[in-house]
Amino acid sequence: MRVLVCGVGYRFLRDNALGIHITDTLAPQASNGVEFEDLGYHPVGFTQNLNERPAYDRIVFVGAINRGREPGTITTYKYDHVLPDVQEIQERVGDSVSGSISLDNLIIVSEAFKALPEDVWVVEIEPGDETWGEGFSDEVVAKIPEITETVWSLTRL
Amino acid sequence: MCFKNLPIEFDAAGNASLKPGAANPYSYTEVPAPTPIEDDPERMRELFARNGAVRRVDFDPVTRVAGALAFHTVVDLENRQVMETASMATLFRGYEIILKGRDPRDAIFISSRACGVCGGVHATASALACEMAFGIKPPPMGIVARNLLLSVEYLYDHPIHLGLLAGPDFSEPAVRETNPEIWERALNTRCEGEVTHGYALMSDLMTDLTPLTGKLYLEGLYYTRLAREAYVLIGGKYPHPQTVVPGGVSTTIDASDLNEIMLRVVKYFDYGRKTAAIWDDLASFFYEVNPKYKEIGTRPANMIEPGQWDDPYAYDGTYKNADAWGRERWAPPGVIRDGELVTTSLTMLNAGVEEFVEHAFYEEWAGSGNEYYKHPTDPNGNPLSPWHPWNKETIPKPTATSWKEKYSWSTAPRWDRTAMETGAYSRIWAAAQTGPEAFRKSPYLHSTGTSMQIFLPKAELPNTDIEWKIPETWGAFERNRARAYCILYTAAIAYDNLQLAYKLLKAGGPDARMSTPYEMPKDHRIGVGLWGAGRGYLTHHLEMDNGVLENYQILTPSTWMASPKDPFGNPGPYEEAVLATPLLENYEKPEDFKGIDVLRAIRSFDPCMPCTTHMHMDGRTVSREIISCACGADEVHEHH
Repeated sequence: MRVLVCGVGYRFLRDNALGIHITDTLAPQASNGVEFEDLGYHPVGFTQNLNERPAYDRIVFVGAINRGREPGTITTYKYDHVLPDVQEIQERVGDSVSGSISLDNLIIVSEAFKALPEDVWVVEIEPGDETWGEGFSDEVVAKIPEITETVWSLTRL
Repeated sequence: MCFKNLPIEFDAAGNASLKPGAANPYSYTEVPAPTPIEDDPERMRELFARNGAVRRVDFDPVTRVAGALAFHTVVDLENRQVMETASMATLFRGYEIILKGRDPRDAIFISSRACGVCGGVHATASALACEMAFGIKPPPMGIVARNLLLSVEYLYDHPIHLGLLAGPDFSEPAVRETNPEIWERALNTRCEGEVTHGYALMSDLMTDLTPLTGKLYLEGLYYTRLAREAYVLIGGKYPHPQTVVPGGVSTTIDASDLNEIMLRVVKYFDYGRKTAAIWDDLASFFYEVNPKYKEIGTRPANMIEPGQWDDPYAYDGTYKNADAWGRERWAPPGVIRDGELVTTSLTMLNAGVEEFVEHAFYEEWAGSGNEYYKHPTDPNGNPLSPWHPWNKETIPKPTATSWKEKYSWSTAPRWDRTAMETGAYSRIWAAAQTGPEAFRKSPYLHSTGTSMQIFLPKAELPNTDIEWKIPETWGAFERNRARAYCILYTAAIAYDNLQLAYKLLKAGGPDARMSTPYEMPKDHRIGVGLWGAGRGYLTHHLEMDNGVLENYQILTPSTWMASPKDPFGNPGPYEEAVLATPLLENYEKPEDFKGIDVLRAIRSFDPCMPCTTHMHMDGRTVSREIISCACGADEVHEHH
């Protein structure tokens, strides 16, 4: 069985770097078909990478995304593979190829280009601080153990 | 004499110095920005009384994650004019501050994170800056390997822009929606380039530009992949390469690697021919339909191009010899003013750069320009401004957004106090104007002074001679057309460098090494990486002491082009281009307005930021639409 855990976001953009921090932290534990990847790059490239590799049985995306929740809120869900309309997909492709990296763009564009397996999980955290620099907001720091455990648990099929 | 506005003069030997007699040579008097229409109730009242179709349209980011661009306009839909523009970078990334106090080599890996698309060029610009500071140069094979990395990065970047970003604006769905009469005409218009690209009718070509499903869109996607495959053979990873180091490339190359890259590069010969023919046909067709399409995104042809692709035997990494090795580049440096090449000197290009912050969320660091500043000259003794990147301090100072005062996180870079644009087109333009005597000798490229001729081996398509000619008018269509020709220009350079790599590999010896050993200096040094990104100009200026960075300044193509107004009252390139754009879209009622011409104008620059060039009235991408009214009160519609 092959599992890929993708840390999505930007380094040096506070809470937006959390996804990459999680995969950096867990990467030394990669083994037995569990891989960790820094996804600080755009989804078109990711899609192409996936198409070149043997298929994964599960992909787990982890990252921060602002949805207006309480900072530090963790939301875990299984991706339903429902796509928005073509217009929105193209908007997200446009965003992606002009430099934007976000959890939603990544999942939608990868799905639109048929790169994802059936079993996809998303672990989100609500950011508290999205400004430049290193380190995380207190709300997010407090949730790092929980989100790390959540991601780790999803590597076990 | 390349400067008109800076206080620099040249002696008979061409040496630059400050003009004598000026007490404060670089100081200036700020020209106040015009009062925005919304802040002028009298003007709003007058406009509304005369014309009820004036409205504010803001293009905001879909995602507010990466250094995003928002674009503010006030448009007069009755007279089909853009009345006011403001380009706004909405996020500060802070790399200059993050890098302070670090080992200079960290900048290679950290700065590549500035972009999720083209990080390789940042890594290389950073390595070049380090080389200058450390006093080292790569062996010839290391330089050739770097040239190959850059080539395939561009072969990745150009199809992304043309196929996935700009192309959809000319696709069947976009044209049918915004100008159905043009679609009707496309159904009956034959393509001149059919023999090359295979489309008999313009309508067929436009159908295949359709996002997600069109053959040309998907082909663009395929070619981005092909180039990325070539990149990782040397770079290890993309877009954040692992092998770019000061002094070369930290990997090995064998004949098998070169063969793998060659197999991919040759595929761009026909793809480039086809793409050039497609963008030739698109420009011809739209110009024929309405010559005013030449004015979409127009502005003076003022461009800046640092050049790239170093000659493996000329490049020595020194600032002292930068003019000499710069001119040996496959893309030589150049500053173009009103369409004419005014300098090919890398040091003069560097000396002319300033960054202003009157309309940006930063604190002024140079006062009035009269005070002491650290680098009054460059290492060759040429004068530098207090606002030059080597003298710049990044001091963020966020305030409320005001279109008259401060409204962007982008500074306003200027060369000789003139707003410059940059891109693949400035690259080929400067190379074309360099002329047959000065342009490097290459079996595949010939600069005529007014055009660039490209000779590539025959693949499957007819081997027609390719020639990009400097256009008579400058605007969105010409930017895209030049970008298409740059696929061939880049492929020719890649092909040339591949053959050099084979020769070096065969000869072996010190020249075939990939990198050079060095020791980190501990004393005070400065350096600059003068390089390019797919989207144009890229420089990294560094200053180091005791083995760590004291200052690091990154200047990107989008900083030049998304810049806000400068203190001299001049708009940035996006602002200027959109202001000059006629609204040729077919709409009967203001609410039908889609903004396609504005979008085409902005996208032709290939903004390296998630720009809200996605204007739709139905959803979350237009954040606010305000209809001016006689009382000056705004009706605000929030969309989420």
